Amino acid sequence: MRPADLTPVARDVMKLPAGPGLIFASLVGAYLFNSLPWGGWALLARPDLVLVVLVFWAMHQPGSVGQGLAFALGLAMDVGDSMLLGQHALAYVIATFGAQVLRVRVLSFPILEQTLHVLGLFIGASAVIVLLNLLLGAPLPGAAAALSPALAALAWGPLAWLLYLPVLRRMRRESAT
Amino acid sequence: MIHEPPPFFHRGPSPLARLTFFALLAIATMIADHRFGALEAVRLSLSVLVAPLQQVAGAPAIAFSRLADYFASQDRLMQENRELKAKLLDYAAEAQRSRLLQAEQDHFLAMTPSRSRFATDGVLAEVLAHGRNPFVRKLVLDKGLTQGIKAGMPVIDREGVVGQVTAVGTFTSEVTLLTEKDQSVPVMLTRNGLRAIAVGSGKDGSIDVPFMPVSADIQNGDLFVTSGIDGTYPAGLVVARVTAVEKNTTYVFAKITARPAAGVDNHRFVRILTGQRPPPAPAEARAEEKRPAKDRPAAKGRRQP
Repeated sequence: MRPADLTPVARDVMKLPAGPGLIFASLVGAYLFNSLPWGGWALLARPDLVLVVLVFWAMHQPGSVGQGLAFALGLAMDVGDSMLLGQHALAYVIATFGAQVLRVRVLSFPILEQTLHVLGLFIGASAVIVLLNLLLGAPLPGAAAALSPALAALAWGPLAWLLYLPVLRRMRRESAT
Repeated sequence: MIHEPPPFFHRGPSPLARLTFFALLAIATMIADHRFGALEAVRLSLSVLVAPLQQVAGAPAIAFSRLADYFASQDRLMQENRELKAKLLDYAAEAQRSRLLQAEQDHFLAMTPSRSRFATDGVLAEVLAHGRNPFVRKLVLDKGLTQGIKAGMPVIDREGVVGQVTAVGTFTSEVTLLTEKDQSVPVMLTRNGLRAIAVGSGKDGSIDVPFMPVSADIQNGDLFVTSGIDGTYPAGLVVARVTAVEKNTTYVFAKITARPAAGVDNHRFVRILTGQRPPPAPAEARAEEKRPAKDRPAAKGRRQP
C-alpha cells in the first residue's frame, strides 16, 4: 500500500473553481434522477444522488455550497416526495456538516477510501430520515432501505470523475496556453 | 486591543454554529408542518417550482406506457372490449333501477331539507405517479386546484373506493390510499347493515376492521360499503371484502382483515368525487353553532303570534 498523501489535495485538484453553472446543472440532474417514477422496493433502495452531489460540492467547493443550500435542497426533496417538510432538510444539513468537517481528511485519500468515508455520511443521513419517520409512527421500512446509502456511496466514484471532467479539461486548456 | 483575523480569513459562523442554526430551523419546520399544518402555502409555492422538474422526470415512463398502449395487441383490446360491453349491460340494468330510485329520492328530498347521501358529480383523473415517499401510500393525480379539487374528496375507480385527496397542488393532487396506516373509512356491512370503521393496515392489499366484538355477525366474503355517516364519503361505495375473521374468545375484539375492492395499487384512471358535502366543523365550532341553533326555534316562536 502506498503511503497516504497527507497534503490537502483540495487545494491542488480544484485549483480552478467549478462554475456556478456546473454546480447548478449537476444538482438539477441529481434532482431529476431522484424524481424518476420510483416505486416499491426500488423506491426504498433509490440512491439519493442529490445528497451525493451536495456532499461532493460541499467538499470540493466549500466556498459556494454549504448548509444553507443543503437546507433548501432538502425542502425541495420533501415537497417532491410529499413528506413532512424538514426531514430531508435536517438529514442534508447534518451530512453537509460532516462533509465540511471531514473535507481535508477525505480529499487526501484516493477514491476507494473516499467512498468508505462518504458511505458513513450517507448512512447517517438515511438513519436520520428513518428515525424521524419511526418517531412519527411509520412502520420500519423494508430491508431494501439499507441498500440506498450503499448504492449512493457506489455512485461517489463515477460521479466524482464526471464532475471533475469539465474542471480538468479547463485546467488542461489553460496550462496549454 | 481586539485581535481580529484579516478579512480574507473571514468565513462567517463556524460549521458547528451553522449546523445548530439549520438543524433547529429544520426541526421548527417539521413541528410547524406536523403540529399546526402551517406550511401549506410554502409547500404549494415550492411545488409550483418543483413540478416542471418532476414532469420532465416522469415523462419517459409516461411516454413508454403510451407507446406500450399503442402497440397493445388486437387480441387483448378485443377481449377488453367484450368484457367492457358485458359490464356495460350489467350496469345498464343497475342504472335504470338507480334512475327510478333517484327520482324517488328526489321526491323525498323535496320534503326534507337534508342533502343527498349519494355520489353525483365527479372528475376523471389520470394517475401520474405513485407517491415517492416510502413511508406513506399515496398517488399523484393530474387534477388540482385549477380543476376545483379540494382536500378531503373521495377517489374511486370502477370497482370501489381508492382513497381520499389529502393535498392539492396547482395542477396535481395527492391521494392517500385506503391501505395507508390509520387511514379510516366508516363502512357498513351490506348483508346486515352492521356499522364499523375500516382502518388501513399499512400493508399492501389489506385493511383492518378493528374493535368489532367477538360476537359480531361477520363472515368471510362479506362486503363492506361506505356508510356515508361521516360526511366525506358518499354512501354505498364498495370498500372491501372480508378475507379473514379470527375470533379468539380470550380477546375482547375479533381480528377482521379485508381486501380493498378497488385495485388500490394498479390503475391508471380514477374518478374524484367532487359533489361533496362540506366537511363537519371541528368540535369547538360545532359547540358554538349549537347555542344559536337552540335559540333559533325559540326566537321563531317568539316572533310567531
